[in-house]
Amino acid sequence: MPEKILTKDFDVKHLFKIDEYMKKGGYKTLTRVLKELKPEDVMSEVKAAHLRGRGGAGFPAGVKWGFVPKDVDKPKYLCVNADEGEPGTFKDRYIMTHNPHLLLEGIVMTCFAVGIHTAYIYIRGEYENMAVRLENAISEAEAKGFIGKNILKTGFDLNVTVHRGAGAYICGEETALLESLEGKRGNPRLKPPFPAAVGLFQNPTVINNVETLSNVPCIMEKGADWFVKQGLSEDGGTRLFGVSGKVKKPGVYELPVGTSLKELVYTYAGGIKSGKKLKAVIPGGMSSPILKPDEIDISMDCASLMKADSMLGSGAVIVLDEDVPIIDVLRKVTQFYSHESCGQCTPCRIGNSWINKIVKRIYRGEGKKEDLDKIEKLASNILGRTLCPLGDAAAMPILSIVKKFRKELESFIKG
Amino acid sequence: MSPEIKASTEKKIKELMSRYPKKQAAILPVLHLVQRELGYISEDGEKWVADLLGINPVKVREVVTFYSMLSRKPLGKYHIQICSNLTCSLMGAESLIDYVSEKLGIKPGETSEDGKFTLTTVECLGACDQAPSMMINTDYYGNMDKKKIDKILKELDK
Amino acid sequence: MVEIFINDSAIKVKEGTTVLKAAEKAGIHIPHICFHDAFPPEGSCRMCLVEIEGHPCLELACSTQVREGMKVYTETENVRDARKGVLEFILAEHPMDCPICDKAGECTLQDYYEQYGLFESDFLEEKERKDKKVDIGKGLILDRERCVLCTRCVRFLRDITKTGELGVFERGVRSEIGIFGDQYIDNNYAGNLVELCPVGAITDKDFRFKTRNWFLKKGASVCPLCSRGCQIFIEYHPGFARFKVPKRVYRISSRVTSRDQSQKEKGYWICDIGRYGYSYMDKDRAENIILKQKNRPAERGEAEAFLGEKIKKLIYRNKLQRMGVVLNTWLTNEELFLARKIFTLDLELEKVFFTELDTGEKDDLLLTADRTPNKKGAEEIGFEINQIEKQKLFDETELLIVFWSSPFGLGSITELLPELSKVRTKILFTPFKRKWNDAFDLVIPTLVPAEKGGSFTNIDGKVQHFDPVLSPPGEARAEWEWLVSLGKEIEVDFNSYVGMKFPYDVYKKMKDKIEFFR
Repeated sequence: MPEKILTKDFDVKHLFKIDEYMKKGGYKTLTRVLKELKPEDVMSEVKAAHLRGRGGAGFPAGVKWGFVPKDVDKPKYLCVNADEGEPGTFKDRYIMTHNPHLLLEGIVMTCFAVGIHTAYIYIRGEYENMAVRLENAISEAEAKGFIGKNILKTGFDLNVTVHRGAGAYICGEETALLESLEGKRGNPRLKPPFPAAVGLFQNPTVINNVETLSNVPCIMEKGADWFVKQGLSEDGGTRLFGVSGKVKKPGVYELPVGTSLKELVYTYAGGIKSGKKLKAVIPGGMSSPILKPDEIDISMDCASLMKADSMLGSGAVIVLDEDVPIIDVLRKVTQFYSHESCGQCTPCRIGNSWINKIVKRIYRGEGKKEDLDKIEKLASNILGRTLCPLGDAAAMPILSIVKKFRKELESFIKG
Repeated sequence: MSPEIKASTEKKIKELMSRYPKKQAAILPVLHLVQRELGYISEDGEKWVADLLGINPVKVREVVTFYSMLSRKPLGKYHIQICSNLTCSLMGAESLIDYVSEKLGIKPGETSEDGKFTLTTVECLGACDQAPSMMINTDYYGNMDKKKIDKILKELDK
Repeated sequence: MVEIFINDSAIKVKEGTTVLKAAEKAGIHIPHICFHDAFPPEGSCRMCLVEIEGHPCLELACSTQVREGMKVYTETENVRDARKGVLEFILAEHPMDCPICDKAGECTLQDYYEQYGLFESDFLEEKERKDKKVDIGKGLILDRERCVLCTRCVRFLRDITKTGELGVFERGVRSEIGIFGDQYIDNNYAGNLVELCPVGAITDKDFRFKTRNWFLKKGASVCPLCSRGCQIFIEYHPGFARFKVPKRVYRISSRVTSRDQSQKEKGYWICDIGRYGYSYMDKDRAENIILKQKNRPAERGEAEAFLGEKIKKLIYRNKLQRMGVVLNTWLTNEELFLARKIFTLDLELEKVFFTELDTGEKDDLLLTADRTPNKKGAEEIGFEINQIEKQKLFDETELLIVFWSSPFGLGSITELLPELSKVRTKILFTPFKRKWNDAFDLVIPTLVPAEKGGSFTNIDGKVQHFDPVLSPPGEARAEWEWLVSLGKEIEVDFNSYVGMKFPYDVYKKMKDKIEFFR
């Protein structure tokens, strides 16, 4: 049985209460880190652990922290990306519901490593109940001296604030998150400059996903080497794979990075419901290109999925069976991106809406034989041409669905 | 005309604002509190928030119209938000939306005449393992079917 | 300096220059819609994408800074495809309003479609419907369907006028520009939004449906409505062969471009007072020489003779102290120089006064409190801008010459009128037909700045030359022409005036005599 890191104590009933968390050894590592280690020690340990971001982009966390300029006279910020909007993804909700203190402990360690004294948890507005739970956890931690001024009398200060979003998928993109946190529309910014240099209120900022930060306590407790060994590929640790769709046992499964997708679907999630045949799997949230049944014998790690022209993304696995009409999948994809486009740049704003209109017309039975080619051309005009990755997040799945299920889509047009 | 904001809410708002180096940054948390209190963000509400944060009311409206959860029209006592995204649709969300729509006599985006229910379709709620999922105000309901919905609506109607 | 290669040609530019600006320097136009020199790059239209060697994706020219040895390609197939793609997207949701849209003929979309598009539309869906006639204030009308969301208007009101009346509402393809409630645009620079808007989304009532841009001619001039002297284009209709057009001047537009370094700090704008205040050029113009003693319009020679005779008589009788002159600061440098030469130097008159300055509130950008164009010029030429002293001016005055060049301002005239009966001979030089013209024995029609050549000195001490743009109405001639012939007529210093055939001849003399104008 592979060792669990994040969901280790999820069976403890009130793990979200600080007393239960501490009974299980919580905050011990933080105490040791703050009292015995230097910030550089934490950063180098996390770098050595090959901890990739768990939000979707997969950028190595330690490297990102290293981009923050060290000797500047500006306040630095940590923004925790708890916006979890990628369709199919629900793992961060689990962490924040069952083990918010693990996240908080990770936050304090991260801020210590980079020299940050103000952290904001940007949580999506729909997760109101989790936001309240987090705020309670922060109060508990403050009462015990793990957050606030002069933490554990080491002289390190840190304020953590929960900041609610209000229903915009684009605010999960790091620069849109910053704009939203500053009180504006969630319009992504041009990069460069990058947030590590010019971020929140124009100051150096680190933005990390909930799951990413929740791994930091374990890395500091058990060491980078141990962490790397938990993964089955060169990337370290475990991941919370969220499986949903036509499987017998949908849910969150913590498994080593590099676990086989086939094993995830058939062994852990119980295989296809009602004995149906598999039609396709979306491996990393709606933004990842779709995989056909003959492509699911693949390791769930960044490099392998990229080689297969897909992506690990948020590790959200959506399983489709033979009864799912592919036109339904396509129209849900186009509906989502045209609704969530912020509207700033031309290709995403108009391209996604145009494709959505074509797909809706096909669904109504008024499709024309040029439509699929047109969809491919439009999606290619979006890919790589937009201000932020949402354009690619839309174009890639659309192109993969039209390419791999062309025949079935054509049948909706003729018949 | 100033909107009717309770003193306790105003106190909470001022405390919130102190957590940011710039007042404008508090706009989303403030708007959430205002919407909870008034049921929606009225034009007076926009002006009040603008004054409070020291910004032009245009900037408030820019934010209110950008985010899906903020409403410029009054919301019903119970805001029923049914996910219409991929996994939930695969598990039957669309027929559930039609069912609720018919039962309450309102189309998605509308509020019932007695002001009790608003029905909207939303994108992924982050509860795909319990698809089809639904949110009423701030509470999540998973693994929905017609029977469960009937029960819930009956409870709320009391 | 950094050396880069654009389409394999080398060019050297300063560090920090963007690819777009570097290409401009090399004479290559990279199409762009949301970018404008006055603001930092926005990067939202995606029209300026170019290929840079070593970069996997196309990059924005407007925001990418040059690096030593960078190789930029602006005409590869990939780049052309990207431009077509952006155009196709915009036009898909753009109403085909060209036949009724004022921007036709000067529209970025039309121009770019002609240069980079030329494809058939295969958009078969329903276009988004939005409001087409939104009143946003100050006579501006917003058509939301035409808007391409470049946000130049929003950024202008946020960064330049700092009034922020416009915002972007809604999300995605339903995004639209708008105001809050009834907080209409209300600043002195709103007219610039029409010029800024790359398409016909913002139009103004002053120009709407009046004419077509290809009927108009553009003449360069300087705005005379305050002492800033903004550079403008006067856009006028030259008329049709067979039928009349209702007016000459249809529009004033800004002439300040990125090439004019001196105005760059003030931006690329003109204020609304200058932009919309052009009706004086065509209204109530004096076209005939009126000599009271004759029953018909007088000839030029008659007027010259009349005027010259009156002055020469006073010279002969040694009674020049009985002559008074009233000047104003709408006169050009050349005219004021000639006036000083004739009245103060040649004739040594003491009674030389100026009409009251038109003044108003100044603002933080361009508009000055002094609403006349040439006060500084008058000062540099050596005048003291003395307001009229009624006692002095009308003390035994037999001959009074008044130059009334401003279309505004009644102040001084109401002072003068009752006193005029005391003066035996009164002569008026003016471009305008006003009811007080009757009080004068000789009324000579002159020109507005748009119709004459000359120069003004603005509040910052900058001398700006301009050529005539519009034709003189009727018998009207410029003041400087009259002054040159008067200078010759009085025969005090005849030779100075010989050879003054054009305003620049006068200016050459000014450069010679006064250091400021060198």
